[in-house]
Amino acid sequence: MKLAREEELFETARQMAGGAKRRAYLQEACGEDEGLRRRIEALLAAGDEAEDFFAEGSRAVAGTLASLQSSRGLAGAAAAVSAHLPGEEPIGTWIGRYQLLRKMGEGGCGVVYEAEQSEPIRRRVALKIIKLGMETKSVIARFEAERQALAMMDHPNIAHVFDAGATRRGPPYFAMELVRGVKITDYCDQHQLGIPQRLDLFVQICHAIQHAHQKGIVHGDIKPSNIMVTLHDGVAVPKVIDFGISKAMEARLSEKLMVTADGQLIGTPAYMSPEQGEMGAVDIDTRSDIYSLGVLLYELLAGRTPFDPKELVAHGLDAMRRTLREQDPPRPSIRLRGLPPAEATATAAARRTDPAKLAALLRGDLDWIAMKALEKDRRRRYETANGLAMDILRHLAHEPVSARPPSRLYRFRKLVRRNRAVFAGAGAVALALVAGLGTSTWLFLQEREAERQETRLLHEAESRQKITQAALLVSQEHFAPADALVAHATFAQPTVEGAAVFRSLGEWHATEARWKTAAERLGELLHLDALDGWDVSSLDHLRQGAVLAEGGDLEGYERFRQAALKRYPDTSQAADRILKICLLLPADPGLLAQLRPYADANAAALARADASGDLFMAAWRAMSQSLWEYRRGDYRQAVAWAQRCLNYRESNAPRAATAQLVLALAERRLGHPAEAEAALLAARGPIEAKFRGPIERGTPVQGFWFDWLLARVLLREAAGA
Amino acid sequence: MTDITLMLDAVGRGEASPSADLLPLVYDELRRCAAVRMSRESPGQTMQPTAMVHEAWLRVSGGVRERRWQNRAHFFGAAVEAMRRILIESARRKSRLKRGGGQIRLELNELELAGSSPDEKVLMIDEALERLETADPEKARIVALKFFGGRTSREVADLLGVTERTVERHWAFAKAWLFQCIRAELGSERPGPGPVGFDGPNRA
Repeated sequence: MKLAREEELFETARQMAGGAKRRAYLQEACGEDEGLRRRIEALLAAGDEAEDFFAEGSRAVAGTLASLQSSRGLAGAAAAVSAHLPGEEPIGTWIGRYQLLRKMGEGGCGVVYEAEQSEPIRRRVALKIIKLGMETKSVIARFEAERQALAMMDHPNIAHVFDAGATRRGPPYFAMELVRGVKITDYCDQHQLGIPQRLDLFVQICHAIQHAHQKGIVHGDIKPSNIMVTLHDGVAVPKVIDFGISKAMEARLSEKLMVTADGQLIGTPAYMSPEQGEMGAVDIDTRSDIYSLGVLLYELLAGRTPFDPKELVAHGLDAMRRTLREQDPPRPSIRLRGLPPAEATATAAARRTDPAKLAALLRGDLDWIAMKALEKDRRRRYETANGLAMDILRHLAHEPVSARPPSRLYRFRKLVRRNRAVFAGAGAVALALVAGLGTSTWLFLQEREAERQETRLLHEAESRQKITQAALLVSQEHFAPADALVAHATFAQPTVEGAAVFRSLGEWHATEARWKTAAERLGELLHLDALDGWDVSSLDHLRQGAVLAEGGDLEGYERFRQAALKRYPDTSQAADRILKICLLLPADPGLLAQLRPYADANAAALARADASGDLFMAAWRAMSQSLWEYRRGDYRQAVAWAQRCLNYRESNAPRAATAQLVLALAERRLGHPAEAEAALLAARGPIEAKFRGPIERGTPVQGFWFDWLLARVLLREAAGA
Repeated sequence: MTDITLMLDAVGRGEASPSADLLPLVYDELRRCAAVRMSRESPGQTMQPTAMVHEAWLRVSGGVRERRWQNRAHFFGAAVEAMRRILIESARRKSRLKRGGGQIRLELNELELAGSSPDEKVLMIDEALERLETADPEKARIVALKFFGGRTSREVADLLGVTERTVERHWAFAKAWLFQCIRAELGSERPGPGPVGFDGPNRA
């Protein structure tokens, strides 16, 4: 607290009776600091006048309150207060570079406005202001973490999210592409679209979601109100909105159960996958979106969601979770048949048909396609949104679809799973009976093969089980037991959940300075990243590279940087990160030659970032570029880039420290020891201060632990050179 | 109410974060009771609108078994900020009327200390408070709660988890600091030692 000293002196002096005594005390206490003494004396002298001033101000406040209440009544006054609560902003207000034009709508967690953006380009946007209650910094940090991935999405059926920031009063906001449209279910019903037209829209949505999934982005909140249909030259175009927002807000179950003033549910849990229903589940992945798509398809077909939203929440959270986890919803055609006749007729009429014909249309393929997307066990759902779309297209082309009614065996297995205890006893008896029937060699071999398959599946299931347990432990920050659980687990299948666990464990070891173990866990993480084929693992490379270099594992670091280049042959992705992490330690001419295309791509991307005003990325790219120039020996350029990095308004402490270090290294080579020393000094302070205490994980905005680690590695080089 | 209860249960078990999950409910509750009050309000009743917001908060959060979260202060702070905006908007409007109503925004340096109306004093305090928010956020919070929120020192102390004495002490200092800041900003004459060397607030 800056004013603590002033306050202490002020308070003590105020208690003193005589002016002389006060003066003496202040003389003594302030010593040489003449300015301080004068300030305190001025404050003391202001005392009585200040009281009068505030008393008059308070009277004005009381007067305004009184007239507010006499004109609007108490309730009206309270309503006025609530209208001024964060989240609600008066029309005309400027929020960053956006001016609010009108309110478009309001949901449980935010208010959406149409707004006008003034620069760098003039355009209309939708501005969603999140109501009070979210921790603004972490919402923005989570958004920033995904920003690069979000920016890579480019699809006509996805509305762009441009920007996130904090309003002056605190709550975060998101600026996104303005979509003037109707939510998809309303659009279909208003225009009485038949089943094929509905399926056509649905396939487009699947393709949009697939595009996002390929970029590593999970929507997490797919539901009709997040899919708007707009008309382009008379053609209906669905647009998926709110990408990245659900994740930034860490939307959880409870948020989906918000109620409005008249008791209506907002964002019902009806679109939520069983795994989303399990609170504390950290591993919401693309398959959760597939489930939500399944619910959407179900509703487009049968006019109802698989579970009635009201019934879902009627008996408490546990009952709801159990329903989502265990109860199989009726097939769409059956659901339709169960509706009261009037509702069934209305539903069919909205699809330009009658109930009997509609049921016949849904029976078979469409029933099973919806049910496959809605599988409880996510491994049994469609692997991808594309797979779901392809099955719909096959159906439309009268080709056989991949979704099938569950076989008798499958249903039997499910029965066993549900009643394990009962079957444990009975199973032994059955086995004895089968054995007694006598088997041919062929049958025996068949069985052995099946057994092998079974063992493999079992092993995999065990690994997954372990991962799920470990994920839970990690989410409660019980790192040590989680670590013990997965230390020797190996994976042949991608697991997003597993990647999250290994990332957390790697970070845990790193923040406790156990570099070798950290490198092992992060190595497994990179392995899992590779299995998954995600293109957003470049941050994980920063983690591993920093740990290897800091731990002094030079051989490991060499192997790592060669592997990183193989992993990212496409220089258009994450070029700045690849450059930075591969050049953390000096490189030979061969490696420099390999890195040249990345440097070129980085310089081009930097220019684009500058043009679009993305200062955050531009500054990072300038930093990488300066390191590249330094390593290849162009010290003048290195100085220029480092200074450019430091000149961005957008500040980030570890980045600035790193740029100072490159500056120091380059200036020394140029024979400017004074400049070099000054830059070294500027970097040293913050880095040493950072590592004096325990290492924190950090955030994208303030910098991550590995950003600091990179800076420290370079500090050693700069200080030792 | 079953949905609220459902949620509160989740909060009680620590499964939902109260700030994120409860506040929207508070707003809804507030709107709901504003409507109810509207219909059966007795004239001459004097209740702070912020107190009404508090009441709504307590009604919603009262069902939770433990008081396990620290967001009360956060929420009250927001209600007071809302109140502050209303008061400032009103003070601006009145000051503009007094000055012929042409101006969009009244700049502080166009005012003078001696001839300022009570409403203009409110505006000056508001602007100076913004500076205090940067210099010492905790004291600024106390000023906002007391001056704009009309809360007593006792209430502020409870809210922030400090002693009443601390609130009083901060309040006394903050008033002198803010006043001195306003005076330095306006460059008016003052008796005794003055803004020379007074570098608390930045001069615009």
